[in-house]
Amino acid sequence: MIELQHISRTVPSGDSMLTILHPLDLRIEAGGVVAITGPSGSGKSTLLGLIAGLDAPSTGRILIDGAEITAMSEDALARFRGSHIGFVFQFFHLLPSLTAVENVRVPLEIAGAHDPGARADALLAEVGLSARGHHYPSQLSGGEQQRVAIARALANNPPLLLADEPTGNLDSATGHQVIQILIDVNRRRKTTVVLVTHDAELAALADTTIALRDGRIVSTGLRGAAAS
Amino acid sequence: MRFVILMAGREVRASWRRLLFFFVCVAVGVGAIVALRSIIQSVRTGLSREARTIVGGDVAISTNRPMADDLRVSLERAIAGAPVTARVDSISTPTMARPESGEGAAAAKMVELRGVGAAFPLYGTLTLQDGRTYSHDLLANHGALVRPELLAQLGIGVGDRIVIGGQAYTIRGIISEEPGRRAGSFSLGSRVLVDIDDLRASGLLSYGSRATYEILLKMPASAVDGFANAIRGNFRDRFIGVRTYRSTEDAIGNDMERAENHLSLVGFVILVLGGIGVWSVTRVFVRQKIKSVAILKCLGATTGQVLAAYIAQVLLLGIAGSVLGVLLARTGIAAIPPSVGSALGVTSYGLTASAVAQGVSIGILVSLLFSVVPLLEVRRVKPLLLIRGGLTTAPPPRAWWTAGGLRDRLSRVDRLQALAACVMGAGLVAIASWQAASLRVGAVVVIGFAAVAVVLHLAGTGVIYAVRPIARSKSFSLRHAVLSLGRPGNQTRVILLAVGLGSFFVIGVRALQTNLLRQFSVQLSESGADMFLIEILPDQVDRMRAFLDARKAPDAGPARLIPVLRARVTGVRSPGAAGFRDVRNQGREYTITYRDHLEPNETVTSGSFWPPHSPLPENAPEIEVSVEQNIHDSYRVNVGDVMQFDVLGRVLPARVTSIRKVEWEDARNGGFMFVFRPGPFAHAPQTWIGILRAPQDPTPRGQFQRDLATEFPNVSAIDVREILVTVQKAVHTITIAISVVGGIALGSGVLILIGAVAMTKFQRVYEAAILRTLGASTRTLGAMLAFEYATLGLLAGLVGAAGAMAFSWAVCRHVLDIPWRPQPLVAVVGMALTTVLVAVVGVAASYDVLRRKPLGTLRAE
Repeated sequence: MIELQHISRTVPSGDSMLTILHPLDLRIEAGGVVAITGPSGSGKSTLLGLIAGLDAPSTGRILIDGAEITAMSEDALARFRGSHIGFVFQFFHLLPSLTAVENVRVPLEIAGAHDPGARADALLAEVGLSARGHHYPSQLSGGEQQRVAIARALANNPPLLLADEPTGNLDSATGHQVIQILIDVNRRRKTTVVLVTHDAELAALADTTIALRDGRIVSTGLRGAAAS
Repeated sequence: MRFVILMAGREVRASWRRLLFFFVCVAVGVGAIVALRSIIQSVRTGLSREARTIVGGDVAISTNRPMADDLRVSLERAIAGAPVTARVDSISTPTMARPESGEGAAAAKMVELRGVGAAFPLYGTLTLQDGRTYSHDLLANHGALVRPELLAQLGIGVGDRIVIGGQAYTIRGIISEEPGRRAGSFSLGSRVLVDIDDLRASGLLSYGSRATYEILLKMPASAVDGFANAIRGNFRDRFIGVRTYRSTEDAIGNDMERAENHLSLVGFVILVLGGIGVWSVTRVFVRQKIKSVAILKCLGATTGQVLAAYIAQVLLLGIAGSVLGVLLARTGIAAIPPSVGSALGVTSYGLTASAVAQGVSIGILVSLLFSVVPLLEVRRVKPLLLIRGGLTTAPPPRAWWTAGGLRDRLSRVDRLQALAACVMGAGLVAIASWQAASLRVGAVVVIGFAAVAVVLHLAGTGVIYAVRPIARSKSFSLRHAVLSLGRPGNQTRVILLAVGLGSFFVIGVRALQTNLLRQFSVQLSESGADMFLIEILPDQVDRMRAFLDARKAPDAGPARLIPVLRARVTGVRSPGAAGFRDVRNQGREYTITYRDHLEPNETVTSGSFWPPHSPLPENAPEIEVSVEQNIHDSYRVNVGDVMQFDVLGRVLPARVTSIRKVEWEDARNGGFMFVFRPGPFAHAPQTWIGILRAPQDPTPRGQFQRDLATEFPNVSAIDVREILVTVQKAVHTITIAISVVGGIALGSGVLILIGAVAMTKFQRVYEAAILRTLGASTRTLGAMLAFEYATLGLLAGLVGAAGAMAFSWAVCRHVLDIPWRPQPLVAVVGMALTTVLVAVVGVAASYDVLRRKPLGTLRAE
């Protein structure tokens, strides 16, 4: 379960301060798919970054499964992310100098997992890329890169998967494949999936939709609410 | 740990092309150090063998007076306590020799008689003109070996007999080269070598003789300094002198030490250049890796793990680069032509284990030292940039000249990075001191280098401001070049730093080398004098001058004839003092002269030298003397003091009117401790000496000596030609060594410069691609790059050249202790070459950027 208590985020802009997120409270139950939607600049990615511990809020605290990540040091956060959070980016962000399978192995190696090779191979098979394991990111298509990124995010079997516009950089057919993988992950592993998206089709598949505008939550709804 | 090692390995695999230059920097630096050290060690072995030959042993103990029994006993006890492996005694004394019979028997000649023991020589070989090898048996039963000029002067040959001190000796051979004969020492006659027991038995060593007693010893190198210092300490007041082959009192020893210091400094120079390369590569590398670092942090890697992975990578590259460097050194040394080797007195070159160990450890240390500061940047990388891009959340700092701006900047100084920079500085001082074998030199060099870095940094900031107005230029290329110099994340300061320091050292080494070589050539100009005439009587002077002018070598200047007298100092009286006080070395006899001008190697440091053509009357109540700086220092005499001299039994007070400094390095013009104002000595009993360059070919030279003997039977000629040839050979050796070393330094410096500039292209790829997409032609982009790089090159060259002049001055004056001359040509050429080199390399390295299709670049970024 994710709990955001009175979270806000302001950044300096020139001589004044710019508020990206106004103070908000939010609870996300475990095991569901949550879509965060809203126009550009509404604060979606900032909110996701805060949940992932990639950024620190200006006020408030964040608890994930009871652990207060806003009180953690950078290194403790990194270790927490390694074991609890998987992250999928719009621009994939694979390590360009590593092959697909090596990219999947990295989080396992960081965590000191036993036999990372076998687990990485299994994960690649799960996203349908067994044959492409020894290719470098530059040799893969966008959709394939994003599938590698999902396999990597799942490497340590995290209870929480965060995805920032996972289909934003893909054509609709490929995007559809990626959406299907994310939904499957949620169904089969009971992984909580929180995703930021512009994609109405993707948002419609979520259990819960949170709509943001100008740094404020304007609506939260159950499945289908955002689409309507 | 596994992650760290695996990541390091993968990164090396993926980035080796970009890191190639890192690798090359380390390899070139290590290669240069290993090659130089190995060559230095070989040459040093060769040179120290020479030094031993010149000294005559590892240690030479000498005295000018017969030893009292108690002195002999305690000296022998000291020698018995040292690990002496061989010993030979030697006594030299000037005396007269005449043929036993035949023509010329009446004309006795001054000779420098030397008696030696059976073990002579300990080092070097005595060569005979007919090619026989010397053995002590040749001296048995009153045998003698002589110099060819004595035979010419006396008109006799091998097998004839000469009489010395009432004893007849049979001439058994002609000495061609005698080991241990020093160029600096002035000898009174031609060498005659006999057995030491014959000399002791001759009665020539009675009280009042001017014999020099020497004990030459061979001992392990480790014992030499300790033993010599002990003897110096214990017997200083008993007129015992000690020379060792290492002794700095020795002129050749000084030159060797200078050469050694120079070589050590050069090793460090290359090392630092390599380090700058490493630093610049690492900095660019870290910038390119920011995103990867963010991803790793996002995947759960701690900063420590990421840092460890990159440090492991640096270590891997450092080790690999060092190994490649050793291979380079091996190849380089194998490529040295044998002729150079033999010129340097070295039979074979090879890598020495200590050089390899030093090179590899320094290679790894430098890789780490220079890369840690830029690597620490990864600590600041936030994974947030993966969703936010490079957005900075901190406001830009205020202008640095305001108090707030300074505070902003200070508050942003990364403490760990600052600490790492301090560790790096201390590490560099340590390595530099180790290499130069002097903490002072190490610190001076590193501080000098840091000072240039600061100046270059400020110059970089200055140039960004200074060229701003050009940004309004109509030329697109010019405008964008200027904008590039000042844009955020620009490379201006980095290039200035790398290239400026590079050119600083390259120009500095070149200026230093030129100064050193000039120093050696002054010391031993080819047209220098090679013969001394002694005992010319005053009434023979005019005739002698005419004789010499008619026969002088075509390229030689006029012969110089100088009046000399011998004098002792018996006291000094300061103005106002009641009487004369005693001085140290009261009994020492000096050779004095009088003249009305300063020689080119003399400068007056205090008082004034008398005007020319103004001799004092012969019976002047007070005579005037100019003393050398050393006399001023050791006797504590000043201008205005009166010194009392004993000149041939006449006691003469003389007022000190000036202190002169003689550049002893420039020995062409000789040097006198005391020069008197002409007049009072005009008719005093005196002799003249002649300094000249005699014909070089053996036949005319022999004829010259025969003519001289016939015309001036009383005058002795001392031929120092073969001594000069020996010294010239040694100087030539050192010259080659300095040139080879300077060449290696210049080569590596230029290579590293090229790399440092080429590295910056990665920063331009993206920008060039965008400009090309917007329609910029190859020509426009090329002109833009050329202008930008040329500006940077010019500025770097300017600051580098200025720094180099200061550096070479400091090293010459304070480290090598030789006179310094500015080298404007070296500076201007260095500056021009830096500008051209940077412009050409910058454009050439970016050639593929200019040719590449922009889409590929944009996608890759």
